[in-house]
Amino acid sequence: MDILAKLQILSGAARYDASCASSGSKREASSCGVGNTSQSGICHSWSDDGRCISLLKILLSNDCRYDCAYCVNRSSNLVPRASFTAREVVDLTLDFYRRNYIEGLFLSSAVMQSPDVTMERMVRVVEALRTEEQFGGYIHLKIIPGCSSELVRKAGLYADRISVNIELPSQVSLQRLAPQKSKAAILEPMKLIGQEINTSLIERSTSRRAPRFAPAGQSTQMIIGASPENDFQILRLSQGLYKKMHLKRVYYSAYVPVSEDNRLPALAAPPLLREHRLYQADWLLRFYGFTAEEILSDDLPNLDETFDPKTAWALRHPEFFPVEINRADYATLLRVPGIGVTSAKRIIAARRFSAITPEGMKKIGVVMKRAKYFITSSGRRFEKHDQTPAIISQQLLLGEARVVEPPRQLVFPGLYSCQP
Amino acid sequence: MKRYLYDGTADGLLSAISWILQEEPEPEKVVLAEREQTLFEEGFFINTNALQAESLFSRLRHRAPDAAYTIYMFMLAEQHGMESSSLLHYVSLLFTYGDKVNGYLTHPAVRDIVSVAKKAGRELHRMKGLLRFEKLQDGAYLAKMEPDNNIIQPLANHFRTRLRAQHWFLYDVKRRVAARWSNGVLQFGTIEQFTTPALSEDEKKVQALWQTFFKTIAIPDRKNSRLQKSNMPMKYWKYLTEKQAE
Repeated sequence: MDILAKLQILSGAARYDASCASSGSKREASSCGVGNTSQSGICHSWSDDGRCISLLKILLSNDCRYDCAYCVNRSSNLVPRASFTAREVVDLTLDFYRRNYIEGLFLSSAVMQSPDVTMERMVRVVEALRTEEQFGGYIHLKIIPGCSSELVRKAGLYADRISVNIELPSQVSLQRLAPQKSKAAILEPMKLIGQEINTSLIERSTSRRAPRFAPAGQSTQMIIGASPENDFQILRLSQGLYKKMHLKRVYYSAYVPVSEDNRLPALAAPPLLREHRLYQADWLLRFYGFTAEEILSDDLPNLDETFDPKTAWALRHPEFFPVEINRADYATLLRVPGIGVTSAKRIIAARRFSAITPEGMKKIGVVMKRAKYFITSSGRRFEKHDQTPAIISQQLLLGEARVVEPPRQLVFPGLYSCQP
Repeated sequence: MKRYLYDGTADGLLSAISWILQEEPEPEKVVLAEREQTLFEEGFFINTNALQAESLFSRLRHRAPDAAYTIYMFMLAEQHGMESSSLLHYVSLLFTYGDKVNGYLTHPAVRDIVSVAKKAGRELHRMKGLLRFEKLQDGAYLAKMEPDNNIIQPLANHFRTRLRAQHWFLYDVKRRVAARWSNGVLQFGTIEQFTTPALSEDEKKVQALWQTFFKTIAIPDRKNSRLQKSNMPMKYWKYLTEKQAE
């Protein structure tokens, strides 16, 4: 099989992996080799689905021994199979990198004969890139659950980021849909990676020549919508992974129906809105000081479809508002719907010079669409009359004009559907 | 309100600012504009002095390195003719507040300078990803581009560390400016007449591989061309290898 046909099969099989980040690592270029990494990450293109392409994302092989129901590469699926040799992956990576197509390599694989055999072949590829070719670009390497800890350690020494996919949010679902995988086999390497990263950070604080272990940290991915877990369960799991395992990122991947299987729900389309809301909630956990228990509860186990999670929280907590923008601290500003990390920092920087007026908020670039219902400036409200959560949510949904003035035009039912 | 003029060059602008800050007690009340050579143009013309411009910039860098970088990016946008008074007021604020000046976004001059600089910075970051090299017959690599801002210098600096073992050219087609990296030396120059050199034999093969990858990596069920275009505006597609196959 020629290289083009292989690339077609093995990139098509890798596209359901959501991670494509190339940030968080600062690797200097060597004098004779090729490549370095950029702390902030660089996107090199955007594919037809609008997602960023920064890494050559491929599988080493799609010839899988496992039969996980949700996966396009499961052994019972009749798709063409292919495997790259180490040399082919090395050459592709370098050819693409030299032309500035990519920031580096994302290498994953189906499970061939055994986890150890597969992982060893993957490690050999990155070893060749780093030692023979002096490649200094970004490498993201998947860990195959069940492989030896020796291979995990080796992977972390060559790669910038390593990741173990958690796949499904609970042991029950894992057993049902991916009977050859187990929660223990997934969590064990995660724990090991977390320990190794910590050790390396401590060693490097005393000696700069100590080896780096996965300097861009570890991440994971879970599939959303293929199993019955609610958003609260998912968020609590993510929270645990961030707090206890120190993960850099948890990726959520809306389940794309790639196979017919009566264990799977029949979906008309991938649950993209749900995925989007989970990412918003995930950001609240990582950058906004929220806990999963603040965002959701047992009585309210799923994220609101109409409002983003922060607005939904704000509407449930009128006692917290209004927030005074000229006095509130950073953490409080971050809780205002529509004010993000950038806006909060700008507000704090600008009010050193003078009190910020409503016009000033627009001048420094804060989007007022949602924020205006929840803030005051030097004691004055931005909106004329007192707002109850019910009125605010109505205005957020319909825009103010529509609330004051009842529609005079003929309304054709179904033409503009506005669900309250 | 006092009105000063300069010759329209970057050096002219900086030397005029340096002069005004020295001579004028209230620079915030002064207007600075590009000379247009009309008959009854009003204002006092300040001569360009490259040494003075350089000395001002090094003082700025010393006083406020972040804000000096903002000014550098602002200059790359090549719009200083329109915003010269803003830059004057920005520099004067910079000497009062140091690097904190960039937070003073409620001030119109700061907002003007920071927003222009930010646009240039965004394009620079974008081009670090969107630039495409082609391998030539002699083994060197060539990348053509038409950026809105004059970013070839910082862009070349990025690639000099990244692709340092490689011989390459950057060519800004609109400005006819080129950068050349060869054997550890980076040079800039203008090109009067550009002829596209022959590509290396395997170049088309590698390009076909990339085009294939670009197509298959997208999930068909999630097709979203609007998002693609907002992240990667169509003005950059002209030199994108992956967009040539369509």
